[in-house]
Amino acid sequence: MKTINIIPLALLVLALLAFKSAANDRYIESMQKNMQLVYTAKTIDELQMAVNAFERIGEAEKNKWEPFYYASFGYVMMATREKEAQKKDAYLDLSLKALEKAKAINPGESEITTMEGFVHMMRVTVDPATRGQQYSGLAMQTFGKAIAMNPENPRALSLMAQMQYGTAQFFGASTAEACGTLNKALEKFETFKSDNPLAPTWGKPMAEGMRAQCK
Amino acid sequence: MKNGILIALVLLVAGALAAQTKISGMVTDTKGEPIPGANILLLNTYDGTTSGADGKFDFLTSEEVIQVLVVKFIGYKEYRQSLDLTASKLTVHAVLKEEINQLEAVTITAGAFAASDESRRTIFRALDIATTAGATADIAGALNTLPGTQKVGESGRLFVRGGDGNEVRTFIDGMLVLDAYGPAAPNTPSRGRFLPFMFKGTSFSTGGYSAEYGQALSSALVLDSKDEEQSSRTDFGLLSVGADVAHTQAWKNASWAGKIGYTNIRPYFGLINQEVDWEKAPVSIEGSSAYRQRVGKSGMFKVYGNFNHSNFSLHHHDIDDPDVTTLIDINNNFRYLNGSYKTSLNEKWSLRSGLSYTLTQNDVQQDDVRVKEYDEGIHSKVVFDGSLSDKVEIRTGAEVINRDYHAAVDTSSFVPGFHEVIPAAFVEADLYASNKFVTRVGGRVEYNNLLNQLSVDPRISLAYKTGKTGQVSFAYGKFRQSPKNEWLRWDNQLAAEKSDHYILNYQLIENRRTFRVEGYYKTYSHLVKFENGNPFVLNNEGSGYARGVELFYRDNKTIRNADYWISYSFLDTERDYLNTPYAVTPSFASAHNFSVVYKHFVAKLKTQFGATYSFTSGRPYNNPNEDKFNNGRTKSYQDLSVNISYLPKPHLIVYFSCTNLLGRDNIFGFEYSTTQNNEGFYNSRAIRQPAPRFVFLGVFITLSKDKSINQLPSL
Repeated sequence: MKTINIIPLALLVLALLAFKSAANDRYIESMQKNMQLVYTAKTIDELQMAVNAFERIGEAEKNKWEPFYYASFGYVMMATREKEAQKKDAYLDLSLKALEKAKAINPGESEITTMEGFVHMMRVTVDPATRGQQYSGLAMQTFGKAIAMNPENPRALSLMAQMQYGTAQFFGASTAEACGTLNKALEKFETFKSDNPLAPTWGKPMAEGMRAQCK
Repeated sequence: MKNGILIALVLLVAGALAAQTKISGMVTDTKGEPIPGANILLLNTYDGTTSGADGKFDFLTSEEVIQVLVVKFIGYKEYRQSLDLTASKLTVHAVLKEEINQLEAVTITAGAFAASDESRRTIFRALDIATTAGATADIAGALNTLPGTQKVGESGRLFVRGGDGNEVRTFIDGMLVLDAYGPAAPNTPSRGRFLPFMFKGTSFSTGGYSAEYGQALSSALVLDSKDEEQSSRTDFGLLSVGADVAHTQAWKNASWAGKIGYTNIRPYFGLINQEVDWEKAPVSIEGSSAYRQRVGKSGMFKVYGNFNHSNFSLHHHDIDDPDVTTLIDINNNFRYLNGSYKTSLNEKWSLRSGLSYTLTQNDVQQDDVRVKEYDEGIHSKVVFDGSLSDKVEIRTGAEVINRDYHAAVDTSSFVPGFHEVIPAAFVEADLYASNKFVTRVGGRVEYNNLLNQLSVDPRISLAYKTGKTGQVSFAYGKFRQSPKNEWLRWDNQLAAEKSDHYILNYQLIENRRTFRVEGYYKTYSHLVKFENGNPFVLNNEGSGYARGVELFYRDNKTIRNADYWISYSFLDTERDYLNTPYAVTPSFASAHNFSVVYKHFVAKLKTQFGATYSFTSGRPYNNPNEDKFNNGRTKSYQDLSVNISYLPKPHLIVYFSCTNLLGRDNIFGFEYSTTQNNEGFYNSRAIRQPAPRFVFLGVFITLSKDKSINQLPSL
């Protein structure tokens, strides 16, 4: 009955190995579940629930940038659904605050810088007449930085394309540059690959929606 | 054996189930109102949930032993409670206490108009100054469309609530500017020396301001210069009255900007007939330079310097015989240097310090008499800002204002002047009872070397939020300011002029609409007075009062792409000072001031159109042919100004503006001959606008890597 003695031992070893990866699996699993939630949430309340979950995970996992990144994304989405200017700004403030935490953990991440630019871009929509000048410039600079950090980042490229398109349209100038950036973005959306199972995947439909304008 | 393992597994699973704890409860504020959306979590675990619309929550956890439950919601202090999870069910009632938060909390608005690009709760923006029609990019011109100001067209300066033009003091980054306006010929408007685009924030206070600002009797105009620029660029401006070029160089944590401008109004005056008989119309050359450096994580070092040289001369015609003229020639040199450093010392305290230097040399030749005026000031200051707790904020500091003034007349060996040193200290505390109620208490101690006197001026203000968007504020304070140079130079023993302000304000800001009403009462004492009408024997026996009501409404929501504001001020004031035989309404005061500013952006035309209409009721003037002093009243002043900014390309702006489009002949007052004519009558002459209209055309080009940058913010 040697086998009987081996089974508990093997189980113990397996359990120990599993414990280590289980912690990571649990992190990835919880994150993916909530990412699904934040990507599909329709209302501000649903988004708030997802954001809260990310903040809970972020509190427990002190050296992971993704929870704060997605919390920040959730707040931007809340701002897009909010109508009142002051509340919109408040959500964008919270978004930046979460982003700062992510940045402190992983300062070189292009996705984080892209999100920062996204927040500036959203600021413009609150009051285009008085903010356009200041924040659209800031947004473009930030997207430029994000592209420099990772030229393969389709989200940075696609948001940059939107800003370029808006500026060109406003001044009645050629949209060729914007459409060039958009094509690059669409290309990168196809080829974008990351070792990180939690890497962001949003932004493609938005870029595809813009394709029609560039024809 | 297989069964054995199965049994063990079942037992394990059952054990885990048995160890689960259900935590349920409710989140409310201190008044028992439910808080939905709050984040509930067990510290260092993933377990937790979000409170529902009724503030209720429940979740399961497999954690054992003692854990810390945390409840968080924006605007409230974090709630923590230890939970013993050996129980299978737990109920928690989390009561969250409000957090005093600067963004949410009530702010003191009595007397203050804050304009800032950063703070979003302001009702006036830095950009507004540049784009107001009729202001011709002059800070004072734009602020003149706000309540509390009285239009004095022949001066161009700000006059606030029955106060003289010199009762408004300008501060840049907290540092005093002695001479904030450029030189101008008699009865022609002067322009501010500082361009609006330099500043990211403007706080214009028409009374009751912080104890930090001293030596200002009626108003403090506090300008905050921009931080470091993010990108390099070169700007060119071609104007109908000159040209300028500016360059900005940006590095990682620093930037440098320089600007040189040349203004020559001669060709323009050659085209358009002027009221003033110019010998040489104004020509000026001006340069400015700004350096910004970030130091460490929170430090910011700024240096700003400005020089200006202007020159003009004109013929002054005698009132009785216009053919008799006097030539007046004015040369003015101005230097201003301002250095400041700001940093946080630790989590609670931050430091601001600065040094400013102003030098004005004015050289006036009137026929054979030459007067050389010299005014030099050094202001140094250190301020500490501390948050002692979320309910107490303290601001305290010390400063020294050192002024050296003299005016030499070449026909006399006596040089009147003074050397005034004013060391001062102030302390002020903001005490928050809640996000709804704040009290600011403070005071200012000043010593004056000429009088060898110590003075204490208390200041207090309160603000209370009446609802989500409305608030009431009250402010009281004592203010003092040394007499004007032209009086203090004759008599160094003149005491400071004093005023007391009482202000009550109500303000409502609702989704891009602002309504504001303010009432005030102000008393003046120790005003400089001529003894028995003799301007060479001065005393401090003058006094006066001012009271009024002001309304302001701004709306950039109702009409798409349009923004407008309406201001109305009512003023009742009298003062017995200088040469007045008794208390009269001074000639710079007008009872009713009304203005409407409208801006409309038409995207199709890539053009912003702006218009400003101003109305000022008649002002008093003294007619020596009448017995009663200051009994004359001018007709009302009215002006309709327009401006157009056209942006054909991202880096190109064409700007056009015209003041007094309708060409109304506004009369500001009357000058009288000093002697009677043959019929025993004093001859008079009206003080008019230098020209009915001022037309300005400019083309602004910006070269930068980022092609979307243009000079719009500076227009």
